[in-house]
Amino acid sequence: MDSDGLVQPGLHKLRLDLIAERLVLVIAVLAIWWLSSLSMPHYILPGPGRVWDALRLIVANGDLWNNLGITLWRVAVGFVLAALTGLPLGIFLGANKRAGEFFEPVLPVLNTVSSAIWAIFAIIWFGISNATTIFVVFMTAMPLIITNVWQGTRSVNADFIELAQVLRMPQWKVMIKIYLPTILPYFFSGARLAFGFGWRVSLVAETIGSSSGVGYRLRQAADLIRTDQVFAWTLTLVIMMATIEMGMMKPLENYLFRWKKDAQTE
Amino acid sequence: MMNSTVLTQCSPGEADQAVPAIRLLDIDKTFANGNQTIEVLKNVNLRVAPETIVALIGTSGSGKSTLLNIVSGIVKPDRGQVCICGAASEAFNDWCSVGYMFQDDRLLPWRTAIRNVEFALETGSMPKSERTRRAGETLQLVELDGFKDAFPYQLSGGMRSRVALARSLVTEPRILLMDEPFSRLDAQTRALMHEELLRIHRLKRMTVVFVTHDVAEAALLADEVAVMSPRPGTIKEIVKIMQPRPRDVTQPEVTEYMQRLRALI
Repeated sequence: MDSDGLVQPGLHKLRLDLIAERLVLVIAVLAIWWLSSLSMPHYILPGPGRVWDALRLIVANGDLWNNLGITLWRVAVGFVLAALTGLPLGIFLGANKRAGEFFEPVLPVLNTVSSAIWAIFAIIWFGISNATTIFVVFMTAMPLIITNVWQGTRSVNADFIELAQVLRMPQWKVMIKIYLPTILPYFFSGARLAFGFGWRVSLVAETIGSSSGVGYRLRQAADLIRTDQVFAWTLTLVIMMATIEMGMMKPLENYLFRWKKDAQTE
Repeated sequence: MMNSTVLTQCSPGEADQAVPAIRLLDIDKTFANGNQTIEVLKNVNLRVAPETIVALIGTSGSGKSTLLNIVSGIVKPDRGQVCICGAASEAFNDWCSVGYMFQDDRLLPWRTAIRNVEFALETGSMPKSERTRRAGETLQLVELDGFKDAFPYQLSGGMRSRVALARSLVTEPRILLMDEPFSRLDAQTRALMHEELLRIHRLKRMTVVFVTHDVAEAALLADEVAVMSPRPGTIKEIVKIMQPRPRDVTQPEVTEYMQRLRALI
């Protein structure tokens, strides 16, 4: 692909055959779902029609947007806090060899602690409140971001630092102009991972420690054996994550890292 | 106090001689390697006249790159004095700036060609528009203005080398230091870069000091070749090349110089 010199990144050809393939896949899944639902009671496996009705209901009465909004808000707060602490901590641990060596075992330990355990701690400490969900998201996302940023600082090219030295560039400019662009891809992939995890664990936290949000609604629907509503909430979550991933993260990544040769091969 | 003694050391001494672009006085440098020390440079003296091209040549370990790094200020000598345009090199000055070109191009992969050239101007507080204008002009000088918005991965080795050259020229240095600048290019591209360098030298008249291990490169480009010998690194001999440029390896005079240089190292 670099044979013709300049490569234009971000150009995606509209592939009709691909769209057709995806369409066939969706129809096949829907058909299997519908056929299986015929032979089962609706509280075990509701059919697509029932789920569609449940979905229309929660959209119409405003339930969807309220709960989706509150969950998204909690995830965002936890995520932003994790990014704000994880980025400087990761840079610090990468820049300071002794501190890095000292704290190295902490991260794997933090990563092993299940989010459900954080959720239980959060309920003990914060009770039924926003802070519970935010805490769980934070504790899950932060180690991921630190690990990635840390790795990023270790990949800073010493030759570029030498280049800046020859140009008599002050240290703070070296941080901004060399360290930051090097770390950014690592931070981004860490943040993406953290956001995905954070979103998932927020539901766990909400099912046990909240009185609003998608997780709470899911548990409520399950308690009432409204399986059609469980499906409806799940569907909205999937759609929302896909929208954020493909509508925001992917284009942002493609733009930010257009200088990377392999970023365009997808 | 300290400064005044430094300045007297740096002044040329003989009134009839032009102030040298670079003056090295009794440079010593040792590196520690485990518990043993290696004398990389011992008692090195060198005078580089303004607007000339000087090659530093020698086997590996003769300290030629270290010497270049001492001139650029990346490495501090243990003893001796570096004078740049008649002033102590620590007194980094605007009227006689130094450009540096590395062995590899060292382009920042996240920056386009023009933004890579601008990088050299970002140490001070020059406004962005002025940086862009100068970087554009310098890319034009190296005949690469058509590729100013390309990222390094989109450029060929020769093009990348030109961007690196532009980056070291954009500050309009009076002295250009180059550490085996074209050694990683193929022979054909290297020959093109030689022409390019000489063309820019005719235009800008900067002083050039370059390190090479290639006798042909030294004989083709330099006015003077400083031959270095290792352990401890010293300048063994200075060969003046009288043949006018442009030169060609097929010229008998050039071949003779090459043989002489090869015999010396």
